[in-house]
Amino acid sequence: MRRTHVAGLLIGIVFGVVLSWSGMSSPVVIREGLLFEDPYLFLFFFGAVTTAFAGLRILRKRAPRALLTGERVAWEPVKPERRHVVGSLVFGIGWGVSGACPGPIATQLGQGIWWGVPTTIGLVGGILLFRRLQARTHADRGRTPCASVIPSPIAADATA
Amino acid sequence: MLHSQLPWWIGGPILGLCVVAMRWLMNERLGVMGAWSDVVDTVAARRLSFGPFGWVLFGLIAGSAAFAVIAGGRDFHGYGWMTDTFHGTGGTILIAAILLVCGVLIGLGTKVAGGCTSGNGLSGNAMLSPASFVATMTFFATGIAVNVVIAALI
Repeated sequence: MRRTHVAGLLIGIVFGVVLSWSGMSSPVVIREGLLFEDPYLFLFFFGAVTTAFAGLRILRKRAPRALLTGERVAWEPVKPERRHVVGSLVFGIGWGVSGACPGPIATQLGQGIWWGVPTTIGLVGGILLFRRLQARTHADRGRTPCASVIPSPIAADATA
Repeated sequence: MLHSQLPWWIGGPILGLCVVAMRWLMNERLGVMGAWSDVVDTVAARRLSFGPFGWVLFGLIAGSAAFAVIAGGRDFHGYGWMTDTFHGTGGTILIAAILLVCGVLIGLGTKVAGGCTSGNGLSGNAMLSPASFVATMTFFATGIAVNVVIAALI
């Protein structure tokens, strides 16, 4: 294991404990948030984004190099494309119905909540389906109907 | 004790610091979909040499398992509106089928959009990325609409 692997593992552990402790593994909490019955979901999200925003601003000014890799700490804003809307619409339907997104699906599995198993199988299937569409679309560039929404393998935010 | 919900003003900022840590340590954008993808891509290539993102996923699972043990078991009863609406063996099969389809939509949609609630919603918005803002508005609006429709139907 490299140092970046250990760092990833530790960040994942903290993320998993907080998601579990905040009740995000529960579809009831997500649903109450999305129906505006409980402000927790939005406040939690707001607290996370503002903290990350402030922290990243400080990093940009004070820490030019990444501690473990020595890379320049930098990022490019991504321009919105059709795929960001189309993909998020498809994701929003799955998230809205199941009350689970990729983080909570992992924490459901970790907590031994077996309802997370079919969602996980579907999630893995969705990633494999995407890989297949991507390979087909970019082998036959421009002619397939999906070309405008399937990002190329070298897209700026392809790591997500 | 641990089953009481962590206050949002503690939990939220800690998640935010995870985003900062990922950037500070290795200049990466923290996103759980990236973590799932790393594991799926690595296994699909018949290898076990996971990158930092794969280890984030293992950490997520280990962290939530540790939480369940320390909290004295999972705090989970049924599956919300689905187990309230569908009963018996047939109901269980139906719910599993619905969740399977939801999983496919979540996996495919987030890959197309280049991020999920954490990658676009959290990390992308914190970098003021316009694409992430558009994606976040879209999935929140869709999630709200879907739940309003379900609430009207059941």
